Amino acid sequence: MVAENSTPHLHSAVEPKQTFRRALDRVARTAMPSLFIVFSAILLSAPFGIPGQAQLQFGIAMCTVWFWTFSRPRSMPALAVFLCGLVVEIFSFGPPGTVLLSLLVIYGVAHHWRYGLSRLGFIAGWLIFSVFAALASFFQWALVCLHALALLSPVPGLFQAALTIGIYPSLTALFVWGRRTFANPDQA
Amino acid sequence: MLSIHARQVLAKAVLPLLILLAVGLVLLGLVRRPAVDGVRLMATDFMAPAYHGLVWPQERVKVWLTDLRGATDLARENARLRDENRALRHWYDVAVALAAENGRLKKSLHWIPETVPQYVTGRVTRDDGGPYSRAVLLDVGSGHDVRVGDVALDAAGLLGRVTEVGPHTVRVLMINDDASRIPVTLGSSHGDAIMAGDDTASPRLIFYPQDHHPVEGERVETRGQSTMPAGLPVGTVHYSAPNRPVVVPDADLDRLDIVRVFDYGDDDSQAPDAPGRVRVKKQPQNPLTGPLPFSWLPSLSDMSGRGGQ
Repeated sequence: MVAENSTPHLHSAVEPKQTFRRALDRVARTAMPSLFIVFSAILLSAPFGIPGQAQLQFGIAMCTVWFWTFSRPRSMPALAVFLCGLVVEIFSFGPPGTVLLSLLVIYGVAHHWRYGLSRLGFIAGWLIFSVFAALASFFQWALVCLHALALLSPVPGLFQAALTIGIYPSLTALFVWGRRTFANPDQA
Repeated sequence: MLSIHARQVLAKAVLPLLILLAVGLVLLGLVRRPAVDGVRLMATDFMAPAYHGLVWPQERVKVWLTDLRGATDLARENARLRDENRALRHWYDVAVALAAENGRLKKSLHWIPETVPQYVTGRVTRDDGGPYSRAVLLDVGSGHDVRVGDVALDAAGLLGRVTEVGPHTVRVLMINDDASRIPVTLGSSHGDAIMAGDDTASPRLIFYPQDHHPVEGERVETRGQSTMPAGLPVGTVHYSAPNRPVVVPDADLDRLDIVRVFDYGDDDSQAPDAPGRVRVKKQPQNPLTGPLPFSWLPSLSDMSGRGGQ
């Protein structure tokens, strides 16, 4: 998976004129994945009463960071991951720092292996992501246990891991479409 | 401008630096959790109006659905309500008679009236549990006087206690949270127990007397202790498994809407100072007024005091 039209400078002669509106459009398209994480974190913190809202916050952030880091790292720099993680931390009430740390770790893995991951098929990428999603959920559970000084039920953590792994294909479909259209800075 | 080499080094150092910051946040959460929760509460306080706006369409749809369901089944609903009204009428008469009797008994006992608790009513802004805890945030408006430890009730029974207080929002730790421990009294067996939350719908009963096991179906009420008043309805005992009594809460913990937070105050329930902390008055060294060596005999001053009454 390689980003389409990733070398626009080769066609600089036919590029439209740089205007403020175009620059703004470009920035918005580049920041689309981060904005997606921020808006879904805020939206899912509202009291809709949907089961698994808190777990979805974590799942959406993990899937988004993973996909965009290996498919278009320009749209997901480390600082953006950090800021998105902070927003998710503020709008959730889990053990502090775990979501942020999980996002940064998964960013590091995806960024380090991005060439390999781009060559791999969807299923293989999904499997690797599943391992890290499960590890992140386990880490969160271990920290909660440490904080409570008791062995809590691991079922919520397993549910969170399953939800994160489960929503990945549908989010990938959305992101693959978005990478070509609304989140493609080259189309600005 | 930085050289290419310096920029490469900087780019490589960013991620480890950010990870270090994240680890710092994790440690801060373990050591100073209230500081982090305070920031989260401020953010929720700021977002409270937006949450109302977001949930408004959902609430409207729910109201329409309830109306629609009611309209399709009017006859049966009417019959049910009439029956329920009749039963309630009976209970109203019983309650009035009991209240009158209670008043008479209290009057004859010269009962000191209990202070009326202050309360504020708030709407649940957001379910604030996350995967591992059960808590809600209430929007109680500005100028409230809610304190940490106040008791939250819904229309049916005890819901939890206030753990964090913000300018407009308070956080209530629910009774089924893993960190919640509430002293309770059992209605018919009169045993004391601790109700411990375990993140399931029904909290467990622990530390009950081994010779007085809780009875299936008996009422559970709070036991008076510091800011927690006695006699608040909590729920009923149910055995989910042999030797595993749980409390089925009266409060509807899954669908909370309007919640009241009561401040029962803790000024009047303070125990008097322990004798060791009271300054001992120096007694005059007079053998006649001092205590007699036979302490079980009534002293002279006691006898004269009794005679005077």
